[in-house]
Amino acid sequence: MSRKTERLVNLTIALLATKRYITKSEIFRTVDGYEGTAESKERMFERDKDDLRNLGIEIEVGSFDPLFEDEAGYRIKPDSYQFQLGEVSSQEISLLSLAAEAWRGAALDGSALTALRKLHAIGIESDIESIPDLAPHANIRDKNLQVAISAITSRQKISFKYLNEELIEQDRKIAPYAVTSRYGHWYLYGLDLEKLEIRSFRLDRISGDVAPEGKPGSFEIDKEFDLSSLSKSADEVRAAVIYLRTGRALALRSRSKPSSTQSAIAGWDLVELNFRDQERFIEEVLWYGDDAIVLEPKDAREQIVKRLELGVKRYG
Amino acid sequence: MAKQATSPIAKTARLLDLVPFITTHQGISIKDLAKEFAITTEELLDDLNTLWMCGLPGYTPLELIDLSFESGYVSIRNAEILQKVRLLTKEELVVIAIGLDFLKESLSKDREDLLIAITSLLKKIKSLIGDIAQATPTVDSAHRAIILRALKERKNLEIEYHSLIRDQITTRIVTPLELGEDKGIEVLLAYCSTANGFRTFRLDNVKQAKLLDASNFIAEVQNGSEEIFRAKCRVDSRLRTTFERFRLETDMANSPSLSSGKGITVEVTSFSQDWLVRNFMSTLANTQITEPEDLAKSVGAKARATLELYKNERFSS
Repeated sequence: MSRKTERLVNLTIALLATKRYITKSEIFRTVDGYEGTAESKERMFERDKDDLRNLGIEIEVGSFDPLFEDEAGYRIKPDSYQFQLGEVSSQEISLLSLAAEAWRGAALDGSALTALRKLHAIGIESDIESIPDLAPHANIRDKNLQVAISAITSRQKISFKYLNEELIEQDRKIAPYAVTSRYGHWYLYGLDLEKLEIRSFRLDRISGDVAPEGKPGSFEIDKEFDLSSLSKSADEVRAAVIYLRTGRALALRSRSKPSSTQSAIAGWDLVELNFRDQERFIEEVLWYGDDAIVLEPKDAREQIVKRLELGVKRYG
Repeated sequence: MAKQATSPIAKTARLLDLVPFITTHQGISIKDLAKEFAITTEELLDDLNTLWMCGLPGYTPLELIDLSFESGYVSIRNAEILQKVRLLTKEELVVIAIGLDFLKESLSKDREDLLIAITSLLKKIKSLIGDIAQATPTVDSAHRAIILRALKERKNLEIEYHSLIRDQITTRIVTPLELGEDKGIEVLLAYCSTANGFRTFRLDNVKQAKLLDASNFIAEVQNGSEEIFRAKCRVDSRLRTTFERFRLETDMANSPSLSSGKGITVEVTSFSQDWLVRNFMSTLANTQITEPEDLAKSVGAKARATLELYKNERFSS
């Protein structure tokens, strides 16, 4: 298969070297490797263009003279071929390399490796001494993350099966917009093509493989889409007042407002903290049992009491 | 690593990346070059032989890329057209952007210079790909680096560890053995001198890590004798959240009783009885323990003690 590789490299060189557009017939005549009937050369060339595009190499199509409908010509603009972050310092190289290293052994290690090669090829020694010892790690092996990111960057729609709260698989089809990682989970954002709303999906709740649908470039990301505001939960913030046994319920304590640790009861602190999802909040407070007593909000308190009564009745 | 046949496309990418790399590393040894590109020397020689056949149309020696590597050291000439480093693909930029997010969170306060550098790189990258990826790490990269060093240099660590089960932050001396993964969470397997036994520590719960000079020799990683607690329960509602909480495989849920609305009976296991009690407290509204009885009694006692405080007037205003 080295013939194909050779042809792709030669095509890249020819299209990069030319200052003007070169026509298909010129390519077939001069670039090594185009053989066979006119039709098969044509097919070869179309496939080669797609293959190069998949490597991030954009072939520009134009004509010699805009006033006439000439035969189309092709070239690769050096600007769209070469490293696009401009001049980088040795410190920046270190940071970029360290960032890519985070993916070693993880879901996107292929892209990380090719990125690292390019960074090293710049030929600036990384200034690792100036960087503290850091070892970031993207702890995810889920292949769906790579499929999702590739679909986002190429603007290709995807479909998958998603487990709902009843653990029933539901078919979803979305235009994927973004990914985030929070609290150790990865989320996929996109326009749900059935509900026509932005939805988020936890990656590990996708059952089976994410499948690309249709062609790349089949949608645009909505200009109104703002990841920073969306990645926060849609639920509104509510305030809670809780008694915490002194020295206990550490996770709740670490989220509480600093101003709020005094209580009339010896051995207890009265703290204030915010939550969004009431159900999750109740479950978290119950985790700490008799070390955390919710005072407010009243409806959460009532819910907790109801559940404790159920527990006493059932197991007591 | 399993050897994979390289596709012509991947090979093309590698050849295009080889040219600028060799250009900036003239005279690099075949061995080092193969290592850099994560391929065998045979594959590299095949790459170089292919590259040798490439050049500008005409393909006379004047136009062909000129490589020499017979001596075991590689140098390149006549490759000006390809010598610029290729642009980063969008996927590569996303990968880097997420990695930079991870780094950003772990910088100490006195390294504002690095924070500024990272922010400006992220801005540059996002102007190219848009704001399509954000990450907040759960593990501190600086602590992780110290753990890796301890593993490599076989040294002991002093860690400050937050155990959610015990609801305690403790300082422990441990001899690290290996990093692993437990259901998507990175963990450190270590011998804990404080507890006199092998323990697994979630990296996201390591609050501090300090390298010690001392080291212990741990003969064998063996911990098979640790007790496992089992319980059977019925999950009636909030199935997905509850399955995730008890770390159950969701494909266990393909049960016919589900559709009849009777809930689903599952077995849950843990090394810690306390973990089970706390989880059953959290899920009082969704789960019902069927066995063992002593676990049900413990949850009942916990619920009663908690309820008493709620009924106590001192805790109602």
